[in-house]
Amino acid sequence: MAVEFVKQDYTGKIREVTIGAGDKAVKVGGANSYPFYLFEGALPNPPRIAWEVWDAETDQWPEACKEPFADVLTDPPAWAKKLVEKHGAEMIALKLVSIDPNGKNADAKSAVETVKKVLAAVSVPVLVFGVNSVEKDAEVLRQVAEACEGRNLVLGPVQEQNHKALGAGAIGFKHTVLASTPIDVNLAKQLNTLLGNLGVKEDKLLMDPTTGGLGYGIEYTYSVMERDRMAALVQQDEKMQQPLVCNLAPEVWKTKEAKLSAQDDPKMGEAKTRGITLEAMTATLLLLAGADVLVMRHPEAVAKIKTLIKELSA
Amino acid sequence: MKLKILPDNITIEVAAGMNLLDALSQVQIALDNSCGGEGICGQCRVQIREGGIEAEQGPRQSNEEYEQGWRQACLATLSADVAIFIPEDSRLEREVIYQRIAPSGQYLTDAQIARLNPGWQFDPPLKKYFVELPIPTLKDNISDLDRLLRELRKHHGLRKVSVDFPILPNLPELLRQDHFRVTATVAEVKGEEGSQSPRRRPKLIRVEPGDTRSRHYSFAVDIGTTTISGQILDLNKKKPLATQTQYNAQVRHGADVISRIVYAGSRPDGLATLQRLVVETINHVLAEAVKKSKIQLDNISHLSAAGNTTMTHLLLGLNPRWLRMQPYTPAMNQAPPVRAKDLGIKVGPWAHLYTFPSVASYVGGDIVAGVLAAGIYKRSPLTLYIDIGTNGEIVLGNRDWMLTASCSAGPAFEGGGIKHGMHAGPGAIERFTLDRRTGEARVATIGHHPALGLCGSGMINTAAELLRAGVIDPNGKVNLHCGSPLVREGEDGPEVVIAPAGQTASGQDITLTDLDLDNLLRAKAAMYAGYHTLLQHVGLNFEAVQEVLIAGAFGNYLDIENAITIGLLPDLDRNRFKFIGNGSLLGARLVSLSNALLDDAEHAARLMTNVELSDNPIFMDQYMAALFLPHTDQKLFPGIARRIQENRGESAAPGVHP
Repeated sequence: MAVEFVKQDYTGKIREVTIGAGDKAVKVGGANSYPFYLFEGALPNPPRIAWEVWDAETDQWPEACKEPFADVLTDPPAWAKKLVEKHGAEMIALKLVSIDPNGKNADAKSAVETVKKVLAAVSVPVLVFGVNSVEKDAEVLRQVAEACEGRNLVLGPVQEQNHKALGAGAIGFKHTVLASTPIDVNLAKQLNTLLGNLGVKEDKLLMDPTTGGLGYGIEYTYSVMERDRMAALVQQDEKMQQPLVCNLAPEVWKTKEAKLSAQDDPKMGEAKTRGITLEAMTATLLLLAGADVLVMRHPEAVAKIKTLIKELSA
Repeated sequence: MKLKILPDNITIEVAAGMNLLDALSQVQIALDNSCGGEGICGQCRVQIREGGIEAEQGPRQSNEEYEQGWRQACLATLSADVAIFIPEDSRLEREVIYQRIAPSGQYLTDAQIARLNPGWQFDPPLKKYFVELPIPTLKDNISDLDRLLRELRKHHGLRKVSVDFPILPNLPELLRQDHFRVTATVAEVKGEEGSQSPRRRPKLIRVEPGDTRSRHYSFAVDIGTTTISGQILDLNKKKPLATQTQYNAQVRHGADVISRIVYAGSRPDGLATLQRLVVETINHVLAEAVKKSKIQLDNISHLSAAGNTTMTHLLLGLNPRWLRMQPYTPAMNQAPPVRAKDLGIKVGPWAHLYTFPSVASYVGGDIVAGVLAAGIYKRSPLTLYIDIGTNGEIVLGNRDWMLTASCSAGPAFEGGGIKHGMHAGPGAIERFTLDRRTGEARVATIGHHPALGLCGSGMINTAAELLRAGVIDPNGKVNLHCGSPLVREGEDGPEVVIAPAGQTASGQDITLTDLDLDNLLRAKAAMYAGYHTLLQHVGLNFEAVQEVLIAGAFGNYLDIENAITIGLLPDLDRNRFKFIGNGSLLGARLVSLSNALLDDAEHAARLMTNVELSDNPIFMDQYMAALFLPHTDQKLFPGIARRIQENRGESAAPGVHP
């Protein structure tokens, strides 16, 4: 007699959210089992990678990250184009670093220009990130929303403090919201509830659970994401059934372990391999925890993760 | 003159000539009257069922209605006993009036106590016995003491009576003052340390000349961190004669127990100072209560006190230092009875003070007294006992087991940390209603004085109403886009005007700010997370709770529906909630009246297991979940979530201004 394997009884399913518009639009989410549990459920849309493009301050990047993009590092549209054409990027994560009130403090107008240029250069979906400044993000991303109606951008991070301004902008101009909360199931749910009350539709809502890089408390993110997924899939928690976006690249590449050169500390080994490995390992963990979109930076790390996703979802 | 209210079936005593609307507000029954009691809107309709009221026909009333006995409460003046019926649609908020076991300032009756604590019997731990001793003769010349003990045995069956030494020096004179006619006060005390029998034994503590049996009193006191309440009890008539409350004089050295502990250790005389201050307050309360009840201080035979662990330590002069340091060890959980005079309390040397046993550093005798009074340790239904205050105390259990927890809710419920917060005194806004059609706000204050500020219960009522109306969001933030004229950007961020300058005592707007709401949210979240954590510890859910007992002075004024709306109380069948008033004082009163309850207090304390919340991961998680109105998990508040949605109706999607 054949052995009957015990299967988890799932009562929920992750919602499908379409990012971007037109031919290149991408669907994420849709899983009805734990990550890659293909023996228990289906994974209609394997996790995707959104490639980072910064509009400023790339000079502070570690050498390993600058190297593949040296020719485009100060030219976001060209950079995005290169990512799509040369690296096969399916999504771009445009970071409006220039607007940081503690940095260049560029105004909304110039940021809108940057976004428009990037959108003109590529037709893949674009996730537009502010700088985690409640007021500045609200001001800039609202104008981005207005200027880019029809492209179904992902706008984030949307926090509790600015959810009304950004949520309203996203609803009005038909974009998708990335709701960001600091590593907590309840806070995530609360923000989803508030956005729902505001009128943000479930197929226009993604969640950013907040992550650290490997070695920087990632186990905390891991267990919170695990609980997010349990709530969504087996605890009938409808407010938690949104796809997860993990913005890991800046977290990994800002750590000492990723930046330190081999000369500064020879026993840490070669810097480039070290950084790429850290990024790939962080991404692996987040995939296993349930990430639907990974925001990544280095082409070699991305290549490794793509292979992994392919193998895990085969 | 009596006013009977149907269908609530409440009868209250009212003064002739009183306006019916005002009379009803005394028992917290508020009627719709959007015209402000001017007789115009006709919303405050009531029907006379028996007796009569003087009331003219309202401008919108039909003759037929008037003939059927319908009257407008605002136009009605009470002139004779009357029974009125108040239909649901006349009531503000359509709420059910819950039976309040202990309306503030009143004493629970014996019948009510018996309902709470079945089997409770009047049997005070001290009794007075009158004896007429045979005059000594040469044939019968045993010692004075032996003579007294012999007669006590002969006439009152008291055997093996021990003697408190201080009675001896004056005994010969006392016996002879009224020709060997004396009254002996005998206490039932526990056997000596290590004795096999737990049975109590009689101990002679006082001898008075003549028959003083009719003058036999006890003093019960609740030693709160903020206030001290004392009650004189007549041990013959088994009832309280007077209650007095005063601020604890220790307050000047810190508002909470932690700062008192710190003060006690911060200087050589710190502990002695705090001990002296609490005794001063007790003496003052005692003196006032004695005066009010028209008795002699000299006739106090006994004292009982309930306080939290820190307060008990400070009263007894024990160093509280280790209470606040891990692993949080008290000096003792149960102190032996102490001669009150030795502590500085101004009573006779015979009077002993009984203090309630504690369970742990942060679960004190006050909560044990509450459990005792509420009879939880005797009943089988699963009970949740809640004492809401700066330090919220929670007990979950029944006669078989009890879990306790103490959670720091902060001072918001007492008006602390709130911009326009205040204690529940005259002028405090208790009720707030928002007219859904006109958007107009109305407040009711304690004593109908011009508004001074918001008290804790007023804040709960206000927040609930604002939430229902969509003026505040479920995250406890003022919704600036809700369209209400009451919201604005204030100097401390977004705020809601609760009472405009014209209605306030100060001539300035009374507002509720985002920061206030944040404090309220944290306070209620700490309480709710506390209940939830205890339930999770035993693998139960809220539905399993059959009775919720609400204690604390604050509890008397709490509006259940509103407290549930903001998630301070669980969304359970409203019939499961009961108020018991000051549970700690009630417990202290009951042990003065019943010997058996003294033993029960220790038994109850032993049944209680403390759950430490400060480092409890379940609590932290539940706390985060409860920082939402009413709660992140709306399934826990099905009725409330539905009601809020219905109330908001079409206006549910505000603020979409692309």
